[in-house]
Amino acid sequence: MNHPTVLSSRIRLARNYEDLPFDARQPGVSETVISRTANALALSGEDKGFRLLTVASLDAAQRSALAESHLISKDLLNSPDGAVLLREEDAVSVMMAEEDHLRIQAITPGLSLDESARRCFQVEDALSRNVRFAFDPQLGYLTSFPTDTGTGMRASLLMHLPMLAHHKQMGSVAQIAAKVGLTARGFYGEGSEALGDVFLVSNQVTLGRTEAEIIATVTALGEQLTGMEHDLRDHALREQRLATEDRVGRAWGILTHARLLPLREFYSLWSSLRLGALLGLIPVSLDRLDRLPVEAQEGHLRGGADPLPEGESLDAARSRRIRALLKAS
Amino acid sequence: MLCEECNTNEAKFAVTMNINGETCLRHLCPDCMRAMNASLQGGNVAGMLSAILSAITSRNGATPRSSGVKQPQEPIPDITCPKCGTTFASFRKTGRLGCPGCYEAFRKELQPMLQQIHGRVQHAGRRPLESEEAQRTRSRQEELTRLMQQAVLLEDFETAALLRDQIHALATEGGAEA
Ligand SMILES: [Zn+2]
Ligand SMILES: [Zn+2]
Repeated sequence: MNHPTVLSSRIRLARNYEDLPFDARQPGVSETVISRTANALALSGEDKGFRLLTVASLDAAQRSALAESHLISKDLLNSPDGAVLLREEDAVSVMMAEEDHLRIQAITPGLSLDESARRCFQVEDALSRNVRFAFDPQLGYLTSFPTDTGTGMRASLLMHLPMLAHHKQMGSVAQIAAKVGLTARGFYGEGSEALGDVFLVSNQVTLGRTEAEIIATVTALGEQLTGMEHDLRDHALREQRLATEDRVGRAWGILTHARLLPLREFYSLWSSLRLGALLGLIPVSLDRLDRLPVEAQEGHLRGGADPLPEGESLDAARSRRIRALLKAS
Repeated sequence: MLCEECNTNEAKFAVTMNINGETCLRHLCPDCMRAMNASLQGGNVAGMLSAILSAITSRNGATPRSSGVKQPQEPIPDITCPKCGTTFASFRKTGRLGCPGCYEAFRKELQPMLQQIHGRVQHAGRRPLESEEAQRTRSRQEELTRLMQQAVLLEDFETAALLRDQIHALATEGGAEA
């Protein structure tokens, strides 16, 4: 079920209404976008399971938790007039009044861009029975940034690439990806950091290629990187067994015994631990490990079923949560 | 300049790698340089990287893009979108357009930029009209199927057969289109 390197697949479609300005902060725009979209979905009869949440109605922890689970974008988090139609059961969301009027998004586990695309197009088809999206025969779907016009689609893979990062190869990978219209960049952290050796691989080019071509190209890069990681993992076990076991064992020791765990340190240890699981060095399932990067973040620590006791620091709460999740395995 | 791999140390080396005829320029610090060289002796990473490039380019005939096309510095034309009032000058500053109408107003000026970003300037892929038609066919099919199941339940087999023929007709129509 869990993929060795691809944590999740994500499709995002940018769509805009032809009669409204892109900027949702202009008077009346966000209200119109939200009510028109919610009505269109209800009229289509495919609104089952969707909840309408406005950004303003959520408290800080709820908002961060949704962003940490990747169900809404950071951009939406910063749009006070924004809202989302959310179908949590299969991670489908329609973000409204973000940079574009609509960002239709679906996230599926492992390497499964076709499935995430299918879910997005189903929602888009339902909406387009009752609304008209801005479209030009030459330029495709019109978006607020010309970098997204055409299909308006971003296909992304969230990948864990500890060996390529260890061997300092991600810079070369990024340059090669750029030559074929793709990007590969660090996902967690600031600027060009790649905490936890987690990278987002996406298409940069949106105009002049069909959705199927874009998905095939991103998938091809995902498969190639997976193959390289596999070979380098084999190599590490063959040629550097002791050093690799040491790295994994140290990570396991700290994550299961530390009492204060800063986020940056967590990411780096988690990456070693996941590598150890793939090499069969520790008996923790990927299913469990792949939940940790989300559970370790502030919104999840503050909110949720097991909220932060008063006076406990985030680093203390994080170590407690991680210990509990690892012990249960 | 900071090292591209660790983003911490000062880059001391500029390494040019030739991968499948494509040149990559890397800026690295001594530590990362050592880590990269060590791995190049162990596993053949450069060979794997060139395999990436050929695997991706062979699919869908995606050609490597020529990078670094310089646009000639031309004076910024004085145009305003009649629908939303956004000027071309303000778009050049922010990168963001004002409304869908801007694409029509700035069509000529946007071409070279779109060519540079995407390498192509003719849309391929989904169109709103197609998806609407497909959608209509599908929902009609679903409705007919529901009616047919109802008829079967009511043991009205004559109506059910009629509906089944209609569903078949719809399906072959859709198939001929695709
Ligand atoms: Zn470095
Ligand atoms: Zn405009």
